[in-house]
Amino acid sequence: MTTLKAETVQVQGLPTRVLRGGRRGAPATLFVHGATPGVTPYCGGAHLWGAVLDRFADERQIVVPDLPGSGATGLPAGAFAFDALVGHIDALIEALELRDVYFVGHDLGGLMGLILAMDKPERLASLSVVASAMSAPTGDSLDDLVFRSPPPPRWSRASQSWALERVSYSHLALDAALLDACAAAAEGPAHRAAVEAMAGDGYSRRLAPSMTRAKMRLWEKARADGLAVPVQLVWGSHDPTTSEERGAVLFATLAARQTATHYHLINRAGNLPFRDQPDAFHHVVAAFQDGVIEHRAAAA
Amino acid sequence: MSAKSGTASPARHRGRMPEGRTIRVGEIETAYFDAGQGETIVFIYGGNFGSADSAPSAPAWDLNFGPLSKRFRVVAFDKLGQGYTDNPARDEDYSMAAVVRHAAEFIKALKLPPVHIVGHSRGGFAATRVALDYPELVRSLTIINSGTLSTSVSTNELVLSRCPHKPFTRESARWIYEGYCFDPKTVTDDWIEVVYEVMQQPRYREGVRKFVDEQLGSRVFLPQLALQKRETLNWLREGRLQRPTQIIWGYNDRTATVAGAYELFRAVGAHLRQTELHVINESGHFPYREHPERFNALLGRFVSLASA
Repeated sequence: MTTLKAETVQVQGLPTRVLRGGRRGAPATLFVHGATPGVTPYCGGAHLWGAVLDRFADERQIVVPDLPGSGATGLPAGAFAFDALVGHIDALIEALELRDVYFVGHDLGGLMGLILAMDKPERLASLSVVASAMSAPTGDSLDDLVFRSPPPPRWSRASQSWALERVSYSHLALDAALLDACAAAAEGPAHRAAVEAMAGDGYSRRLAPSMTRAKMRLWEKARADGLAVPVQLVWGSHDPTTSEERGAVLFATLAARQTATHYHLINRAGNLPFRDQPDAFHHVVAAFQDGVIEHRAAAA
Repeated sequence: MSAKSGTASPARHRGRMPEGRTIRVGEIETAYFDAGQGETIVFIYGGNFGSADSAPSAPAWDLNFGPLSKRFRVVAFDKLGQGYTDNPARDEDYSMAAVVRHAAEFIKALKLPPVHIVGHSRGGFAATRVALDYPELVRSLTIINSGTLSTSVSTNELVLSRCPHKPFTRESARWIYEGYCFDPKTVTDDWIEVVYEVMQQPRYREGVRKFVDEQLGSRVFLPQLALQKRETLNWLREGRLQRPTQIIWGYNDRTATVAGAYELFRAVGAHLRQTELHVINESGHFPYREHPERFNALLGRFVSLASA
């Protein structure tokens, strides 16, 4: 990631770590990572994206934050709810004066993008929802075995490696740079604060209900009049956290009332398709953005 | 085999298509369009000979040809017995096997480097067979809404049978294509006029006479296709397809339903890493005409990736 530089941006008083770079003046692509802070057995942050960012940086302006409680962005004191995460990313877009953002959200970040597209459609030019178990309807699902027994100590380098391997198509997609960054994130104050906030019933009483409420609003919106932002769903063929069928249900739900909705399956990819198949991921997302860019130019 | 230009072709697509050319492929005078430079894309449209209600031809790709020819060499030809290409010389060649052979021989006749082959519907089947039977001619494969490559029930006959209009008319063509598309407004007068002109040729009428009145459709084409379809689907499940493959599918196709797209993705993807599926909302059977800017972006990026 030689072209990207780390900055600290003040977002509503919260020092927020952001990687920036790519082509100046090109459409701004915002990459919002997944992993629930203090809950998911690997640490989220800008480091999850890996070398795929370089492929985008050739043609796009790139903005890659660490979410609150992840990587090098701290967790503000007080109740930690999903709405605050969305509010933070909204404020970041404003702080950086980004216009017509091409939002790429992985898993939790994908749900954040959908909520932002619902509440502030004028912010976004397009939305790519990537392998988002957090966004897909689950119904009466079976209990989740994927992260049933992380090896202790939790969030050690080895334990995070185990977790990332569980959700990837190939362990070869996980390089030392990723595991080092995950291990470093686990040592940071952001992660420790998130673990503390989520401890006990912190997750089930605070974060989880706020996410459920956001999803309910989303279904209502999808039923009633659809989102006003072009949306693509990008799923991996071998994602143990969200199957291609679940992605297809989310697609059908959004597509009912919305013109520009696409659903893409990338083969031999798990929950981190941008790591398992970076070329295909770049092709699928960049082509969708190209279509939106051309459509907007024609409309203008 | 010699290439020449300036043959009769419909006027309506001029401006979006270059001047038409012809080349002899064996004994078959073959009409085609050719523009641009670089990695070569060859388009194969859908349908088959012998339809009295509608008749596709190479300008079906007129919304893709211009934009893609800025970066690639693009070639669209008329299949055996369709558009402005000669009818099969022998009755037994009213078959998909002969269409596939002709397509491969056309690529060889033009001396093209390995091509990025793009096939729609019946043409998706033909393109897949070219990739299976002549892998040396193919660099990548793009399959669009191909019920012919699907084991799920094709609903063409349920949706598009008993056209209420007289055969060989603009009205019949419009009724058919509006039934195929999500948005009837995408069926433009230009599109219909090109189809209408194809249907007015005596040669085309002769093909319909042989296919329908002499029953080559039910005696030759369909039984042979059924055999070849079983073989092809088995070959896909066995992993014989060995070129990067993307499947592009209009979600609202009433004739080739999206279930077939997922099934095809699983069959091909089981053996081939470079397999992708793209489902496009608010598109019927013709995503490359209903959402050309999306389609062109997907195809252009895919071709660049498969060429690298």
